[in-house]
Amino acid sequence: MTLLSVRNLKVSFDTETGVVEAVRGVSFDLGRERLGIVGESGSGKTMTGRSVLRLIRPPGRIEADEMRFDGVDLMGASETQMRALRGRRIAMVMQDPKYSLNPVMKVGAQLMEGLRQRDGLTRAAAHIKAVEALEAVQIRDPERVMLAYPHELSGGMGQRVMIAMMLIPNPDLLIADEPTSALDVTVQAEVLAILDGLVRDRGMGLIFISHDLRLVARFCDRVLVMYRGKIVEELAARDLLHARHPYTQGLLNCLPRIGGPRQPLPGLDRSADWAV
Amino acid sequence: MALIEIENLSVTYRSKGRSVTAVESVSLGVEARQSFGLVGESGSGKSTILRAICGLAPVTGGTIRIGGDLVPTPRGRAFSARVQMVFQDPYASLHPRHTLDRTLSEPLAIHGIGQTDARVMQALDDVGLPQSFRFRYPHQLSGGQRQRVAIARALMLRPEILLLDEPTSALDASVQAETLNLLNRLRTERGLTFLMVSHDLAVIDHMCDRILVMQNGRAVEELSRQDLASAKMKTDYARSLFSASADRMLEP
Repeated sequence: MTLLSVRNLKVSFDTETGVVEAVRGVSFDLGRERLGIVGESGSGKTMTGRSVLRLIRPPGRIEADEMRFDGVDLMGASETQMRALRGRRIAMVMQDPKYSLNPVMKVGAQLMEGLRQRDGLTRAAAHIKAVEALEAVQIRDPERVMLAYPHELSGGMGQRVMIAMMLIPNPDLLIADEPTSALDVTVQAEVLAILDGLVRDRGMGLIFISHDLRLVARFCDRVLVMYRGKIVEELAARDLLHARHPYTQGLLNCLPRIGGPRQPLPGLDRSADWAV
Repeated sequence: MALIEIENLSVTYRSKGRSVTAVESVSLGVEARQSFGLVGESGSGKSTILRAICGLAPVTGGTIRIGGDLVPTPRGRAFSARVQMVFQDPYASLHPRHTLDRTLSEPLAIHGIGQTDARVMQALDDVGLPQSFRFRYPHQLSGGQRQRVAIARALMLRPEILLLDEPTSALDASVQAETLNLLNRLRTERGLTFLMVSHDLAVIDHMCDRILVMQNGRAVEELSRQDLASAKMKTDYARSLFSASADRMLEP
């Protein structure tokens, strides 16, 4: 079943020096699965994720032939309709907990805000739900974390708090924009296991945006590789080592490997036709 | 005798009556022209060791020797001329309102070295930046270009030792490859000694001859490059780091 379908998505910005096209005609379908979007900085992967929630401010413009989520036309929806979707049906985990949590509000208050405003829960009921949400992302001492300010948490804890917050309304689609880039390998593995469990148990759709090809391949079912606003290759994650597109191959080859040869790492060749 | 000798180094931060021990009696030795790697998760104290060598962390125990001599406190000019550091985040480590020319010529001015013009141009050449970049500001450069400037700045005084604190973790994969290649080329050309910190085992493996695994401020295990490649680690922690490394996915 298709949860989200996107046809010919374009994102452009009017600047003093002319129009900058950040996304140039992206199309994909998503079921209840884990879809990875990989690319370097500036490839348009984050803009693609944000467009789904129409979270691009002027002078940015979103155009698409079609963008449909579970029967709702996202391009034609009013701002009120979009607000009803955001958070409740489609949630987004941002890259950096340092910048995405409110620094002057305790974690507990931030978690409970949505529950009280949106769901109209009492303070006590919201508290119970918030603690449950923290437990679901394997925070060991949720009562202490509820009373902490974001700067008192480590990066991994902050990231888990954000995931917990996004999962409280039980969304159908989660867009995770580099959710683990700021984390260590060991914490990264934990956060991925949490996301993995949620996709499996709740049947949620997941768009996982990352610049790390190896990570995406290990974690997702399907991978879209983006370069300069376009999808250059789409493939099943297990076939990644047999990627055909020179850009995907280049991205793979330029990563050092344990026990690999000591020669200089191959750079990316950007002179070919596809790179223009 | 090793060029860098650290014995039983401890670093404790104290504030408001609380104390945090970031590094607890860690010893290591790096031979001249060797490349030594420190790995571990955040908070394991690996960056603190580099900062302690530079005098940027409160050393509470143990000794640091460079070329057999104890490092003086404060570190002073002679130390700066021998040891330089490259920081993790090129967005934060360059002065936003200084042009590259000013950033690169400042160490020369402090040390009273002439030929500023020629040396700045040479430094840009060495790290593969066009000379037309000389009067640009950091915000006019990409992340990879900024890290090249940070490396050029560290090399202005022609040091023997480079301390590298996660030099590529803020960069894209392809830019990381270019930066690692640049560091390796400079090391061969100038006979530099590297002490490098990274959380990415594959990067450490590519760059270093010997590796020290750290956890909670303590040294867990020292490995040679061969031990790592053939997975001959003895401790569980080193093994778990190894198996969590994203690089493992590429193994057949």
